[in-house]
Amino acid sequence: MFSRLIRRIHMYLGLFLAPWMLMYAASTIAMNHRAWFQRHYGGPLVVWEKEAERRWGGDVPAGLPARAVAARILEDLGIEGAHTVNGPDASGGVTVVRSAALVPRRIRYLPAEGKLVIEKQVFRAPVFLERMHRRRGYEQPHLRDDLWAVSVDAVVAAMVFWALSGLWMWWEMRATRAWGLMFAAVGLALFVLFLATI
Amino acid sequence: MRFSSFVRRLHLYLGMSLLPWFLMYGLSSLVFNHPRPFNYLFGPTEWTPRLERSYDLPVIPDRDGRAFGAKILKDLGLEGAFGVYWPGPREFHVYRFDFWNATQVRYLLDERRLVVLEKKFRWDHFLTGMHARGGFEQATFGDDAWAAIVDVVGVAMILWVATGVYMWWQVRQTRRWGALALAAGFASFLALLMVL
Repeated sequence: MFSRLIRRIHMYLGLFLAPWMLMYAASTIAMNHRAWFQRHYGGPLVVWEKEAERRWGGDVPAGLPARAVAARILEDLGIEGAHTVNGPDASGGVTVVRSAALVPRRIRYLPAEGKLVIEKQVFRAPVFLERMHRRRGYEQPHLRDDLWAVSVDAVVAAMVFWALSGLWMWWEMRATRAWGLMFAAVGLALFVLFLATI
Repeated sequence: MRFSSFVRRLHLYLGMSLLPWFLMYGLSSLVFNHPRPFNYLFGPTEWTPRLERSYDLPVIPDRDGRAFGAKILKDLGLEGAFGVYWPGPREFHVYRFDFWNATQVRYLLDERRLVVLEKKFRWDHFLTGMHARGGFEQATFGDDAWAAIVDVVGVAMILWVATGVYMWWQVRQTRRWGALALAAGFASFLALLMVL
């Protein structure tokens, strides 16, 4: 009964978290070959293209902190969510990057000209995968970002469980014990060798 | 060997071989997802000065700077895996690392001086450093071999999913609940992608 329960949890967890594992697998390979992708695209992978320009900022009080300016910009554009802020620069300008999963946007506030320049990131698969791979943590004030962080924790817990339950299931099958032990020993020896030498 | 048997063995033996990497990636992800408790536990990152000396590079390093980084490390007898970056227009840093140690070499262009600092070991940084290590940009065979294993882990993860789905489909009585789990996973993932 216990063994059956372990097998079922191992399997259903795997089925539920399959999209996360596929994303982490594909992004790992993409990040491992970043230099190749840079050559393929002929330069930096992250590219921004201008989407719009609009008048903005008439009612922004001077000296308002950059984070508050950023929050007001995102609210006015209707794209609130996880973001980073740079600025103010010498002219009081603020740059906000709204790190959306699918279409990140960079918004530059130019107070001297009283306008916003809105750019969107050109979609490229390796950049999208790396962005999702790196997305984590509970620092953003939005529930949806916390939910993503919870899913990352779920993947962590599942990985530890898959490893331990996998060992349990392997040990239950007498026929695979010798070969399994050999594969485990080779893997562990290789890992230790890397730890000691690079 | 039947195909079904081959699939089961592949799933199992890949897991047995790559178990240390799988556990390392899992545990280090916990550190990435919860940096605050680990920073609280270990305190701020400590760098200890090890060496300071005058040094004159014949030309100013270019933006890429890897060739200059390699030369500085060679002159210091610190060859190995490294990265370079510019924290400011007149300061060039070379970050030399292995799994256990990290050394920062600062080249101050105006003063023509090198400052070498060593980082105090931290277990959380040990894990995240291992997690983040990859790519084929380093000059040593060991680093290329590690990067090759990283590719193997990536391919293995895809194979675990594919063989796992195959094995699930073979067990008739779990098809309904399995389909529900698979659909719920994809729906949750897509929903998060849309709202993030």
